[in-house]
Amino acid sequence: MDTTDTVDTPMALVEQPSGALTVNNARTEFRSKAELERVRRHRQAQKAYGRGRQIDVKNVRDKKLRRNLTNLENKYKTAALKAKEAEILLENASGFLEAETELERTYKVRQDDIQKEVGIEVAQKKFELKLNDLGPYVCEYSRNGRDLILAGRKGHIATMDWREGKLGCELQLGETIRDARFLHNNQFFAVAQKKYVYIYDANGVELHCLKKHVEVSHMEFLPYHFLLATLSISGQLKYQDTSTGQIVTEIPTKLGTPVSLTHNPYNAILHVGQQNGTVTLWSPNSSEPLVKLLAHRGPVRSLAVDREGRYMVSAGQDNRMAIWDVRNFKEAVSSYFTRSPASSLAISDTGLTAVGWGTKTTVWKGLFSKDRAVQEKVQSPYMTWGGEGQAIERVRWCPFEDVLGLGHTEGFSSIVIPGAGEANYDALEVNPFETKKQRQEGEVKGLLNKLQPEMIALDPNYIGNLDLRSEQQRKADRDLDAPAVDVAEEMRHRARGKSGALKKYLRKQRKKNIIDEKRVKAEEMYKEMQEKKDERQKERQAELGPTLSRFVRKD
Amino acid sequence: MPGRQSHGRPVLPTSGGGGKPGKSHAKTFKKSRAKATAKALDAFATAAEQFPESTRGVRTRGLEDKPNPQKRQRRGEDEEDSDDLDEDEDAGPKKRARRDEDGGGDEDGFDGFSDGGEGSDSEEWHVGVAAEDDDSELDSDEAFGESDEERFDGYAFGGSTSKGKKPKKKKRAGEEDEEEEGEDDDLESLGSDAIDLATALDQFSEDEEEEEGEESGSEEDEESTDGDDESEEDDEADPSKLDALESMIAGFAGEDEEDEEPGTQNKAKLSLKDLGLAGVKDPRMKRSLRLMNKEEKAVKPGSSKKLEVPLAQRQQDRLLRSAAYEKTNETLDKWIDTVKHNRRADHLVFPLAQNAHDRGLDSGELMPITQKTSGTELEQTILSIMEESGLGPSTKAEKKEDGDGQPGLSQAEQQEIARQRRREREMHSREMARAKRIKKIKSKAYRRIHRKELHREEEAEREEALAAGELDSDDEREDLDRRRAMERMGTRHRESKWAKLGKKAGRAVWDDSFRAGLTDMARRKEELRRRIEGQAGGSDDEDEGSDVSDASEGGDPRRRLLMDLERAAAYEDDEEPKSKLFQMKFMQRGEEMRKKLNDEAVAELRRELDSDDGGSDEEEMDIGRRQFGMGNDTAAPRTSQAKKAKAADARGSAKPTAAAEATPQLDTQQRSPAPMVVDDAWAGAEPEPEPAPVESTTIVEWSQAGSSGRKSKKGSKTKAVNIDISIAAAEATKAKPRPKPQGTASGPADGVQDSDDDDALHLPLAIRDQQMLERAFAGEDVHGQFEEEKAEVEHEDDEKEIDNTLPGWGNWVGDGVSNRDKKRHQGRFITKVEGVKKKDRKDFKMKDVIISEKRIRKNDKYLASQLPHPFESQHQYERSLRLPVGPEWSTKETFQDSTKPRVIIKQGIIAPMSKPMY
Repeated sequence: MDTTDTVDTPMALVEQPSGALTVNNARTEFRSKAELERVRRHRQAQKAYGRGRQIDVKNVRDKKLRRNLTNLENKYKTAALKAKEAEILLENASGFLEAETELERTYKVRQDDIQKEVGIEVAQKKFELKLNDLGPYVCEYSRNGRDLILAGRKGHIATMDWREGKLGCELQLGETIRDARFLHNNQFFAVAQKKYVYIYDANGVELHCLKKHVEVSHMEFLPYHFLLATLSISGQLKYQDTSTGQIVTEIPTKLGTPVSLTHNPYNAILHVGQQNGTVTLWSPNSSEPLVKLLAHRGPVRSLAVDREGRYMVSAGQDNRMAIWDVRNFKEAVSSYFTRSPASSLAISDTGLTAVGWGTKTTVWKGLFSKDRAVQEKVQSPYMTWGGEGQAIERVRWCPFEDVLGLGHTEGFSSIVIPGAGEANYDALEVNPFETKKQRQEGEVKGLLNKLQPEMIALDPNYIGNLDLRSEQQRKADRDLDAPAVDVAEEMRHRARGKSGALKKYLRKQRKKNIIDEKRVKAEEMYKEMQEKKDERQKERQAELGPTLSRFVRKD
Repeated sequence: MPGRQSHGRPVLPTSGGGGKPGKSHAKTFKKSRAKATAKALDAFATAAEQFPESTRGVRTRGLEDKPNPQKRQRRGEDEEDSDDLDEDEDAGPKKRARRDEDGGGDEDGFDGFSDGGEGSDSEEWHVGVAAEDDDSELDSDEAFGESDEERFDGYAFGGSTSKGKKPKKKKRAGEEDEEEEGEDDDLESLGSDAIDLATALDQFSEDEEEEEGEESGSEEDEESTDGDDESEEDDEADPSKLDALESMIAGFAGEDEEDEEPGTQNKAKLSLKDLGLAGVKDPRMKRSLRLMNKEEKAVKPGSSKKLEVPLAQRQQDRLLRSAAYEKTNETLDKWIDTVKHNRRADHLVFPLAQNAHDRGLDSGELMPITQKTSGTELEQTILSIMEESGLGPSTKAEKKEDGDGQPGLSQAEQQEIARQRRREREMHSREMARAKRIKKIKSKAYRRIHRKELHREEEAEREEALAAGELDSDDEREDLDRRRAMERMGTRHRESKWAKLGKKAGRAVWDDSFRAGLTDMARRKEELRRRIEGQAGGSDDEDEGSDVSDASEGGDPRRRLLMDLERAAAYEDDEEPKSKLFQMKFMQRGEEMRKKLNDEAVAELRRELDSDDGGSDEEEMDIGRRQFGMGNDTAAPRTSQAKKAKAADARGSAKPTAAAEATPQLDTQQRSPAPMVVDDAWAGAEPEPEPAPVESTTIVEWSQAGSSGRKSKKGSKTKAVNIDISIAAAEATKAKPRPKPQGTASGPADGVQDSDDDDALHLPLAIRDQQMLERAFAGEDVHGQFEEEKAEVEHEDDEKEIDNTLPGWGNWVGDGVSNRDKKRHQGRFITKVEGVKKKDRKDFKMKDVIISEKRIRKNDKYLASQLPHPFESQHQYERSLRLPVGPEWSTKETFQDSTKPRVIIKQGIIAPMSKPMY
């Protein structure tokens, strides 16, 4: 499929059997070079930073609305253009390892070779941690890539500022650890232990024991919603709000012991790999999976979603690795094969995919690209590592770094993969060089900007959209069992304060002279109240007798 | 009775002033009549002469002066009044003094008059009044005055007359009303004065004499009546006199009474000599007299030197007001643009730029120094140095003059050149325009014909159904019609009259049902759009709207299309002088070619239209050798795939001609440029990795792989052979896994495999793994299970009919009930449950995917329940939400722009706008 457009590549000659040349997409209108350049720039900006399809302004009838919408469209356009122009500020270029000759292969390059060539600072990022006894280790980086948490199966937990080699805390829990994860920053981390999930702070102090999360095997943290999602061996999916401590939802998946879990950073949907080869997509708002797709023929061993939320990579027990377009749930590329079932998958910021299988790790480049209309099959991997006897437990990319962290049976290895990290970080989002103050401020801002769990949906842009249900449907959906609002009760509940809500209401309503059901009720109530008052008065007067009755206080 | 005094007097100051003494004086002066007459004549002549000027001056001055001309006429009446008053009570000197005061005040308005008389004494007036009795001229004035009296009555005495006076007044008014209708509007009568004099003069210039005679007669009548009134002091109207008056009015040749009345007065004035004004000594008087004489002689009324009688005050005011209004509007309109602009502006900055202290200064770039502008010594020195070195401005100027190739070109010539260029450009695009037009017609024709066909088919179907008796024709049709009408009345149809009306009236604001309809429409549209996107996959629905409108048109569409086509074909450029560019060979050739193409397209279209056969083929332009004159069959749909296949053929691959019939699948595989390589080490690229059905044996699998390998590049062939051999070695039981078409194992082998020896060693192992895996997972029919599950879900979500019929409800149950009976009671109470049809599902036709169709209620919280006010459609509204504001999502500039306050106030004095900005 040829997707070139006229502006980008003006002429595409195709030879006909008769020898004639056919021009596809012939550019027929005359445009100056500057004009063409401008159009191209616009198009590129639209492609990279555009926000959906333009609406047709000409058909708008209302003049004012038309003008406003035109202004709006112009704003969209200029915003995209400005964003494109601001690319000039992205000063750090990213690049990959490239083969010089045809005979050279990038996957042949060993870590030692890279280490020799790169600067000392980068070279230092390749290191090994020999932790033979308590493995295999799972590893996770914090969101800004500064901190690393290592959790050995047999109860060893360590957090560290890995670049400086500074140990944050080290714990020997003495029980099985299945997963560990940082929360919104490096100050807290959650550990899925033998029975419950525990939350520790940066110093290793146990803060919470989440007893509702039993036998958790996988955990995910949704940073914008402050939700800790856990998946237990029994298939219970639970969302806990870490800012308020409430459990948001508990969903029984009813699909057996889950095998893998990941979350889509674009829409905060959880992807769960099941035993039967399906991948199910979950949100805290529905008790059923939003989508169920058959990805593999055996258990789905591992899942990963790219940071834009377009592509998902899944690896199954059947030695296959599949690339999915998650927007329409189609398999983008017929699968790749792994020599043995993959144990872990991870996608870096630049789209490199690390696959840990057996004792080896393979890094693939260009498995998917949003610029291509049809994904092509990549013939050979980008880089490889391992094969030295340590079974890979987990692979994780370090954000903003060309570093891949590998947790395995013999500890932890950090290797350098050129071109893996995002070269230009956005400090408004995550700042890898943040100071303590910035971290604190970021935490507060994050809490202020916290998204509600109800906002999670497959299409995160749905918020504010028009409800397209028909009136009939809406009526049907309305809760008919809800008790009718009792006006009197409502009044009474609101009757606080000195003057009384009822009086106030009546005072205001009497001015308006609108008589409806509510007002009639209110009047009745008022009358009742007055009568009661009078009665009381009379009683008191009677008590005091005829002479003293005049001294009864009126209220 | 102060009330009475207060309003009776001030309005008629002079008459009041002259009222009481006037009476007595009248009596005393009766004896010395001659003297009095002379005096009166004198006074009156003065008045008559001054009348126009003085009134003009007075009228323009103010309202309070207005009643002046009437004062004289009021006198008689006031005399009566005062008589009454005297009889009633003795007003005494107090009253008089006051009147005098009033009279004095009035004198300002009648300066000339008082000058002519005896100073500020009111005696003059008495004289006039006394003379009234016998003077015909005066009487004519009196007649005028009577009509004026009516006016007076209209506004001065309106509601404030005293009780004693009122009935009399009313009587008078009654009299006058009978005579002159519409006279009460004094403005008009007076305003028409000026005009009517002119017209009257115009019309009756010939028989002026007669009329005058008549007039004088009538005037005498009037006089007599007035005289009677005076003498008798009786207010009762004499019917005979009234009749006479009426007859007099009728005497005026068919003119309106209203118009005639002033005419009489004016004509009466013409006889100046009668007044005895021939021997006036006052030079001022003389001058004015001369003027009057001139006017008399003038044939044309328009050419008279004399100023016309001014318009009535109120009318003048009205004119002034309207003029002023227009003027004001004009000045205000100047601001409209500014106001609009400011209203629409995103940001306003105060103080205004136009009021800035450095407004006039140019903050732009510095201008180059020339001989003239070089002021300082330094500048001059530098300039001279530059001059010397040949860099100065003068040298440049010379050069420029040299360079100016066409110095003699006038503006007109330049314009001509520009026009010619534009024409060329236009001509260049003309053929393009033609092509476009043809294309449009083509698509239209195609659609129309197909629609028609569809319609015909439907009709036929219906007919069939009718014939078969499936349709209860009349009822059914009526029902259908009714339903359609109802729908039209609602808002489901966007184009319907009702919907439009409702939209225009803004019914959505208050009508819930209408809004519901709108939402419904939006939903349907969304559904439709989704379906189009999902199934058609980018098939553009161009000019839907035009289609609709076309459908509404009557007439034979095909003929119209043909006509259109004819027009497009005839769309030739008129002969115009070709420019140089167009005279060039290649341009002409290009133009020719394009034209030919267009012609061809037209011909084809015509053929299509004629044959009623709409085969749409995609637009492609061929350059180079072509073959023409082929029949319809060659122009038959050529699919792009076939073309590509051909192209591939032409590229020289040794493929049999059967490749032209290659299936799309094959084609796509061909197009993928990547060679299918078997990479062992990474076990990544397995050829043909399609998830094979479990039933297929491994042999089949491999044969498939082989076939795919055949299609792949030759580089991988060697490897493929290797695989085969290894497999053959490993699994001897399998007999000849595949045919061997790839004898051509030449070409550069892929570097990966060649260089990677140890990997190559592992290769068979990998394959064996694959096979084992296949076997390992062979037992479970995952796909089948999944399909089953999907079908179940589909069924569950589908709309259902639930039979609520209870056995035994309304009929017998149990043994002995016939089957027919049972059947008859089976589905009596059915409830239909709404759901999602299978073809409406999001996962319809998607393999291995189940997408939940359940509504997520928690998300509804964040949906807009109805379309917000200014928006007209869902898309507009939703589009307006898509632009984020926060700094995280846009550049700093955009962010600041979007958060900038609308009104920015800077330090300084905020002065109002001094002039319109736009």
